Amino acid sequence: MEFVPAGFVLLQQLEPRIMDWGWVRENFAEDVLPALVGHVYLSGVSLAIALAISLPTGVLVARYRKAYPPVVFLAGLLFTIPSLALFAILVTVPGIGIGPNAVIIALVAYSILVLVRNTVAGLDSVPPETIDAARGMGLTARQILFKVELPLALPVIVAGVRIATVTVIGIATIGAYIAGGGLGQLIFDGIDRLFPTMIITGAALATALAVAADVGLLLLERRLRPWARRAGGQG
Amino acid sequence: MIEFRGVTKTYPGSERPAVDDLSFEVPEGEICVLVGPSGCGKTTTMRMINRLIEPTEGEILIGGEPNTRISATELRRKIGYAIQQIGLFPHRTIAENVGTVPSLLEWDKERIRRRVDEMLELVGLNPDDFRNRYPAELSGGQQQRVGVARALAADPPIMLMDEPFGAVDPITRERLQDEFLKIQQDIRKTIVFVTHDIDEAIKLGDRIAILKQGGTLAQYDSPENILTNPASEFVASFVGTDRVLKRLSLTRLEEIELGPPQGNGGLPRLPEQASLKDALSEMIGSGAERVLVISGEGRVRGSLSLDELRRLSGRAG
Ligand SMILES: Nc1ncnc2c1ncn2[C@@H]1O[C@H](COP(=O)(O)OP(=O)(O)OP(=O)(O)O)[C@@H](O)[C@H]1O
Ligand SMILES: [Mg+2]
Repeated sequence: MEFVPAGFVLLQQLEPRIMDWGWVRENFAEDVLPALVGHVYLSGVSLAIALAISLPTGVLVARYRKAYPPVVFLAGLLFTIPSLALFAILVTVPGIGIGPNAVIIALVAYSILVLVRNTVAGLDSVPPETIDAARGMGLTARQILFKVELPLALPVIVAGVRIATVTVIGIATIGAYIAGGGLGQLIFDGIDRLFPTMIITGAALATALAVAADVGLLLLERRLRPWARRAGGQG
Repeated sequence: MIEFRGVTKTYPGSERPAVDDLSFEVPEGEICVLVGPSGCGKTTTMRMINRLIEPTEGEILIGGEPNTRISATELRRKIGYAIQQIGLFPHRTIAENVGTVPSLLEWDKERIRRRVDEMLELVGLNPDDFRNRYPAELSGGQQQRVGVARALAADPPIMLMDEPFGAVDPITRERLQDEFLKIQQDIRKTIVFVTHDIDEAIKLGDRIAILKQGGTLAQYDSPENILTNPASEFVASFVGTDRVLKRLSLTRLEEIELGPPQGNGGLPRLPEQASLKDALSEMIGSGAERVLVISGEGRVRGSLSLDELRRLSGRAG
């Protein structure tokens, strides 16, 4: 017998109407909305934790330069593990098991590389004479970090957050495979039931969420940088 | 008053000191200009005053007290510092930039606002035009003025200025120098001013410290004395072969005794604020042997002849 790809079988059994809006309306409160909220939760918590780890790490390794290559190497190693494999490994770890926590840990692991790298790049982009002037006027190291370096590094850091956000929202869909919830749940259920409406709803919402988050962050970054906008400079 | 006592700085990993056994005093209310060839240690010397660089040996006294008596940040808030590269905060408005040290010192908002406007006026920038702009919206020369305003804002008794007029064209530069001297007449700060331009040093300095390669002091004296009696070949060549002209540029016509107004209206006329060098230039240019000196109100105050000028410059050596 000839090999028939699974997708082909799926297509053959599709109902004539690919998008069943009636289903969406009827199941919005029960299935769609919780999946969307779950997805926002997974991505949001993951990004928050990833930022809480990456920002201080980035600031530290930007100072202690010797630590930068090994940190980037480790974060890069995490980044290369296939997501499905990472989920599977985490599920077997005692105390984590199946569920959203395993998904969040994986998403955090994926975000660290880009967030640390962009934090360091952002801090490196601060003009040295600006820091020198700040020191010369008697700002403490702390004041220089929070009032001068981080605000000026912000555009590059936010650029990293945008990449991480889009990545995390995408990978989070796979989390449903280990009972993480989120929009992936709609997709996997749709595959199980051979019901394209669910697949399309899940995929479309995940895409829309990623685009919305990206645009939202872009607008936020512009707002936080009136000086660049007014001067008509860099982006 | 700032006093260097046997100050030496050897950078880590370097065999020879960048600044070598420096001892000199800057009296209160005077402008001391550090001048010398590139790499002779001017910036290093200046940055040891506010402890951005710590000396390897020796000490620096400010008002009789070692500058290590208080914390480095506290010290720096009392010393205005305009760095060579300006270094305005790109993300802060001009008002916020100028108000940096006052807000560190926790002045109240209204006082800071008034002070910022006052400082902008002082450096010739209209507060209403500039207050809310960002540094990127200013020309280089305007940024440099903001840098000076920012250094002055908390009214520090001491100012450090590292080539503050370095990035502007010669004409603007001359105007900034004139404004600077005018401002100093009012505020009477103790100023350490770095430049590598000997003409600027002669124009601005009450005293000039000429440093040479290796960070040793070649001569520390008034501009007149440096031009009249250079302490060494190095100083003589550094001030240049035109030092007679330079000395003439130090004296203004209103400062000398003029001869009676002679001759007719055909003689060239010069304002009394012009220098002897200007007078010489005018004589050479016009071929006249004598110039008339005109007072502010337009009256003829007297005249200066080429012979008299020659006699005056002869005294200059
Ligand atoms: N951080 C540093 N580490 C090591 N050597 C330094 C450092 N800063 C300056 N030097 C060296 O010390 C010497 C004096 O430098 P400094 O910056 O004080 O010179 P300068 O007179 O200000 O020169 P310029 O007119 O070019 O600004 C130079 O030889 C320089 O290479
Ligand atoms: Mg220098």
